[in-house]
Amino acid sequence: MKVIEIRNLCKIYNSTQIKVHAVNDVTLDFEEGEFATIVGPSGSGKTTLLNLLGGLDNPTSGQILVDGTDLSTLKPSALTDFRMRNIGFVFQSYNLIPVLTAGENVEFIMSLQKVAAKDREERTFELLKAVGLADRANNRPSRLSGGQQQRIAVARALASKPKFVLADEPTANLDTKSAYVLLDIMEQLNKDEKITFIFSTHDPRVVQKARRVITLEDGRVVSDEIKK
Amino acid sequence: MITAIAWKNVWRNRTRSFTVVAAVTVGVFAGVFSMAAINSSILQRIDAAVNEELSHIQVNNKAFRKSHDIQNVITDYPDVESVLKSTPGVTGVTGRVIVRGIASTATKSTGVEITGIDTDKEKQMFTLSTKLIPGTGSYFEENTKYNTAYIGEKLAKELNIIRYILTDESFSRLEGEGVPGTVCGKLGPLMGERFTSEKKFTKAFESLLEVQENEKYRWKILDAAWNYRQGSRLILSFLDTENNQTGAAFRISGIFRTNNDMFESTSLFVPVNELRRLTGMSEGTFHRVVARLENDDLTDDLSKEIRQKLPDYEVMNWKEIQPDLAMIADFIGQIYAVFMIIILAALAFGIVNTMMMSVLERTRELGMLMAVGMNRRRVFIMIMLESVFLSITGGFAGMAVSEVVIAITGKTGINLMKYSEGMEAIGYSAHLYPTIDLQFFISTTILIVLTGIISSVYPARKALKLNPVEAIRNE
Repeated sequence: MKVIEIRNLCKIYNSTQIKVHAVNDVTLDFEEGEFATIVGPSGSGKTTLLNLLGGLDNPTSGQILVDGTDLSTLKPSALTDFRMRNIGFVFQSYNLIPVLTAGENVEFIMSLQKVAAKDREERTFELLKAVGLADRANNRPSRLSGGQQQRIAVARALASKPKFVLADEPTANLDTKSAYVLLDIMEQLNKDEKITFIFSTHDPRVVQKARRVITLEDGRVVSDEIKK
Repeated sequence: MITAIAWKNVWRNRTRSFTVVAAVTVGVFAGVFSMAAINSSILQRIDAAVNEELSHIQVNNKAFRKSHDIQNVITDYPDVESVLKSTPGVTGVTGRVIVRGIASTATKSTGVEITGIDTDKEKQMFTLSTKLIPGTGSYFEENTKYNTAYIGEKLAKELNIIRYILTDESFSRLEGEGVPGTVCGKLGPLMGERFTSEKKFTKAFESLLEVQENEKYRWKILDAAWNYRQGSRLILSFLDTENNQTGAAFRISGIFRTNNDMFESTSLFVPVNELRRLTGMSEGTFHRVVARLENDDLTDDLSKEIRQKLPDYEVMNWKEIQPDLAMIADFIGQIYAVFMIIILAALAFGIVNTMMMSVLERTRELGMLMAVGMNRRRVFIMIMLESVFLSITGGFAGMAVSEVVIAITGKTGINLMKYSEGMEAIGYSAHLYPTIDLQFFISTTILIVLTGIISSVYPARKALKLNPVEAIRNE
């Protein structure tokens, strides 16, 4: 089942007199439960494509359909709501809320969704257990290592049971051991929760784990390899 | 959860938040306490005006206030009294005979307004009897064949009835009140010398003391040397009903002390029958009838009502008799508004500044919140709550400190004796008992919350303008 359909997507920046085609006529589909990575050199358009997929940026032309909904037809408030319900984000710099505990960070999006307190607590415990940090639920991010913070960020991204998770360079700030632990956890959650994961990365460790590797160059898809 | 996050965000940078809270606390305390002090000063003045001098409502013969002619009397006092007494809200009614004349002693004379009063009724209705200076006699309680008068301290001083003499007793008292032996020693040469005025005595002891000693012990020395011989007399002269000069000797029954120098120096009270007898006025006639009300809030309405009931008389309330005082009483609202505008403006700038710093520091975090689905309304509410929490914390702390300080100083009073001459010259007490009503606290709380909300608008708008993509990229 297709979760995301991208049709002739273009993003052109006009910040200088030269037009920059950050994303150039990209057409792609993502199926439910995929574990895909977008690779390419710096400036190839990976992050821009991820931002467009996440509804954080508007395309110059083309379409993104998520479960049949064209993101470009949504008003800003509806798009924010759509992101909350359908998309999980994992950022390179973790971006946890520093004043909340690990557990509260995971719970946060569910509280925005007005999930009942009991269900929130159960889901939080389940996810913290899945990322191996059930015992750190009451710790604030400042008391956790970078790897642990990113695992909490993954748990947070999955808390709302999104259609897909976008992870922008999730292992860039992690040491090798932490990166492998994180990737194993995401792979396991991808299988258990059947949630599509899309990464943008330079990291060969991520590429090695991914089951599909899309390569961008100058905003164009130059290869789309599905591993067997 | 947004409320919890907002509260936690307030304390994210404790030093900064505590600084803002402390600034707000000091600002609110300064405003509320100053207001309480001003409020008490005005209320004390109004209280004195109503309870000692004017009463709430006065009914006069229409020509009396302009001419002060002894002939302009209220002839049908029983009718006027009955109208007043039958008006709901009126708690007491009494008549006064008022003549202007000269008070003299062997050395001085001065113009006075002599008020003939029903001493028993006045004692029940007003508080002047309680202002008697201990040791100066009584409020018309002495059984004597002489004419008696109850006079103000200022008048007694002007007539040289009060003198200043440093006696053995004065020195014992000074030592008992902690005045050092060296100071008492310096005052030794003045022992037994009689000064007829405060000015002369002050000049004499000032020349013997150091400036600091003088500043510190001036009031204690004046009090210790204050001397009055009970039963002193004065001569009152005035016109009778035939416009003939008349007069009599009056024995001073007692001396009262108020905070109004003007009132004290010109007012003199005598039993109404004595004054009637001396002036030849008929029994039952008065120049003025005064009425006390249940409370001051009834003044405007009841004076209107009584004016309609007594069209042949001049009916005036204390606000009309002393418009300056009424204006100040009304002005208190405006003083309050100015104070609060200044305090709240300072509060608002402090909050806006702090919240702007807070928003700019959290650009990436706010971008992340918007990216993961926190809509604009929630972001706005979160920022607004943060600024409201900051304002409320400081505001409540300021009001709590104010409440405690007002409660303490409301009992102990604030002594402004240094400025007593100036303040009492215009009728204000130099001893303030700060007071503030509950309504003031409630309205201040509401204003502080509103300021917090208004102060949040600019920083919140800044936050809303953030582009999540750019904000997240911001390092």
